[in-house]
Amino acid sequence: MLRFLFRRLLYGLVVLWVVTTLTFAMLRALPGGPFDSQRRLPPEVMANIEAKYHLDEPLLKQYGRYLAGVVQGDFGPSYKYLDRNVADIIADTFPTSTLLGLLALAFALIFSFPLGVLAAKYRDGWADRACSFVATLGISVPHFVLGALLIWLFSLKLGWFQAARWGRPTSAVLPMVTLGAAPFSYLSFLIRSSLLETLREDFIRTARAKGLKEIAVLWKHALSNSLIPVLTVLGPLFAALITGSFVVEYVFAIPGMGRFFITAVTDRDYPLIIGVTLVYTAVLVVANLVVDIFYSLVDPRIKTR
Amino acid sequence: MIPFCLKMACAWGTNSGKITPTQALFPLTSRRRKQFLWFVLPCLAVLALSSCKRSSSRDDGATFRVNLSTEPPSLDWSLATDHVSFNVIANLMVGLTEFDRQLKPAPVVAKSWDILEGGRKLVFHLRDDVQWSDGQKVRAEDFEYSWRRLLDPKTASQYAYILFDVLNAEEFHEGKIADEKQVGVKALDEATLEVTLKHPTSYFLSITTFEVTYPQRRDVVEKFAAKWTEPENIVTNGPFLLASWKHENEIRLKANPKFFLGKPAIENVEMFMVNEKTTAVGMYEQGQLDFLDNDSIPPLEKARLSKIPGFKPVPQLRGEYYGFALDRKPFDDPRVRKAFAMAIDRSVFPRILHGGELPSSSWIPPGMLAHNLKIGLPYNPPEARRLLREAGYPEGKGFPQVTLAYNTQEDHKIVAEAVQGMWKRNLGVLVRLDNIEWKVYLKRLQNDPYPVFRDGWGADYPDPDNFMKLFTSNSGNNHTRWKNSRYDQLLNQAAEEMKDDKRRRLYDEAQRLLCETEVAIVPLFVRVESTILNSRYIGLEYNSMQRLILRNVRLNSTSGVK
Repeated sequence: MLRFLFRRLLYGLVVLWVVTTLTFAMLRALPGGPFDSQRRLPPEVMANIEAKYHLDEPLLKQYGRYLAGVVQGDFGPSYKYLDRNVADIIADTFPTSTLLGLLALAFALIFSFPLGVLAAKYRDGWADRACSFVATLGISVPHFVLGALLIWLFSLKLGWFQAARWGRPTSAVLPMVTLGAAPFSYLSFLIRSSLLETLREDFIRTARAKGLKEIAVLWKHALSNSLIPVLTVLGPLFAALITGSFVVEYVFAIPGMGRFFITAVTDRDYPLIIGVTLVYTAVLVVANLVVDIFYSLVDPRIKTR
Repeated sequence: MIPFCLKMACAWGTNSGKITPTQALFPLTSRRRKQFLWFVLPCLAVLALSSCKRSSSRDDGATFRVNLSTEPPSLDWSLATDHVSFNVIANLMVGLTEFDRQLKPAPVVAKSWDILEGGRKLVFHLRDDVQWSDGQKVRAEDFEYSWRRLLDPKTASQYAYILFDVLNAEEFHEGKIADEKQVGVKALDEATLEVTLKHPTSYFLSITTFEVTYPQRRDVVEKFAAKWTEPENIVTNGPFLLASWKHENEIRLKANPKFFLGKPAIENVEMFMVNEKTTAVGMYEQGQLDFLDNDSIPPLEKARLSKIPGFKPVPQLRGEYYGFALDRKPFDDPRVRKAFAMAIDRSVFPRILHGGELPSSSWIPPGMLAHNLKIGLPYNPPEARRLLREAGYPEGKGFPQVTLAYNTQEDHKIVAEAVQGMWKRNLGVLVRLDNIEWKVYLKRLQNDPYPVFRDGWGADYPDPDNFMKLFTSNSGNNHTRWKNSRYDQLLNQAAEEMKDDKRRRLYDEAQRLLCETEVAIVPLFVRVESTILNSRYIGLEYNSMQRLILRNVRLNSTSGVK
């Protein structure tokens, strides 16, 4: 197990290095620099700015300087937010995005399990169709439409929640539902299909033949054996939820990290783009590792080799 | 709704033999009822979760809430470059002067000034009752330090060039002079600041209204370095104090009891960072915001919101224009440029943009010295066709394929499509439209400008010099590549001329060259900001350079709200 962990961490570090290098190279290939603005700066002013941020150095030297900084946990200064460095920005925003992502994931898991099980148990029945309808709706309605709709209904019409912003416990409800809707639907479908497949297996027939109650067959035997596909997607899903919440953060004015995946690129804030990309990669690597460990717990046939 | 749902669920569970209304509506079998319950219970859980009390409609009016739209990139006024940052800074700080309602510099920290040596030297006399938030007096040295810091190459301020009229400022910034004491700004004593300029500069007083020239405390900046703007470190001298700054979320200000012009009537200000305009409007309608500016109002909502109380359009010192690449065919011919300019019907723009835009054929915007609506080429399709024919393109025949480019933004697209239609209709020329991401667009304008391109300009300080200097031969912002020595000469004369009448005449001639004779650009319209102020409040000032001044905001005693 320890060897497995060590090897996976080593792979993870290589992935992080490759991502850093590729992002660094691609950003420099983009036309337009971080300090290009409508007011074109006099050459002497631009020269001083470039000197301050070492942008006047050869690219390889800049790359070496950046890597050396990253190893020491220094992601450099932001070119846009001039009073702060990238590590500060990530430290300020990452916990919010994580919390929002976890809430959305919890929402998705809590509601997708009963829905998926219900749909599988009453396959082709009224409940199955209703569940399919809800799940299809969840997948197909984009975040910005669902978010706006929820704000309109629950904030403007009913007045139950504030329209946006973060801070109060209740302010998390609408963003959580908006962000969690798609994974909830996706997981419901996944659980349903996986469960249907398991229910056709011989050991289920045996369990029923032994006279086990249907509820025990369903929850104890069938469901636990249907978890592998769900676990497989949970890692990337978690990473996507905590970092891919740009639209939800935008609509609900949540001070999270997701927005930087877009705004930092349009601002050409190189250190911030690489910083958030690295965090995303790290989350993905760790989430996949955790999922792999869980595999072996859920299904003893899978070993952590 | 929730009690109804709960009743419905209870009715479902009871087996009293009576037929409940829901049973009557949904006559299901017991198996289906079970299925239905499975489905309904999670929904009820969501509803129960969300049945918290309504967000309390608030308070005594002592807290005023505005939307900044985004996180201010910097609260260090030597580094800030954008109006969001300046809107926070303008409420935390005051400088030597500020604009009066006519956009003339009026005394603030400077109680008076002398203009000496024909405009080459300015001596500011400071008030002695202005205090920093930590109780220390604001001294002339604080200005001297701030100005030198702005110019210091190590600060790498984007606005360093704003002080390049000061003696040795440019040389110090370029590193040609290492001794900061040679820069022409000097504190003669605690209350006297002397500024020596390279040459007489008529607009220099306007520059002292700009936030980047506000004073700074050397001890604070040097002690806390990049963190000096955090609430626990910063010292300020303005009407409000920085109480807290939750990055990406909100800034809170509180009234400064030591402010020398008197403590503001509003005790607290909350500045939120809500990007999404529709959400901001929702928050305003829910009573969570008291003021919205253009950044918080979706263009499509302007028509509806313009009817609500508190709506006010504010014309800006911000112009939009189309520029021509003059260094190549076909726009190297002034007749072609004139024809294209005269084929544009500017009266269309406010109708299609819904923002109250002011059509303008001249470049200097209203509210600024030398604004003159009579300058510029009017809409005249027959004359435009004649000029194009004269240039060798009768009815547009044989005109090469040209592109009109703009940076990707909805309103630029609307304008470009309208102008494309006008040129097709009036000249018989179909131009291609091209939209490009902002930074790529800027790079392209600098290196290889499009035949026709969209651009705009907002004033840093309210003087025509700031607008007209854009198109001088050596200006980095002159993407048209137009070079005209007479124009350059007129601008230099106007900059050094101290009398308004003479300056007006000089700028008139320069504008005629730019927009009538040479037609390097076609001015289109002047932008107007839409603002909405909650009618509970009065006294808010939103000026023509997007500055939000909150120090005079107070409850409207006639609004009937306590």
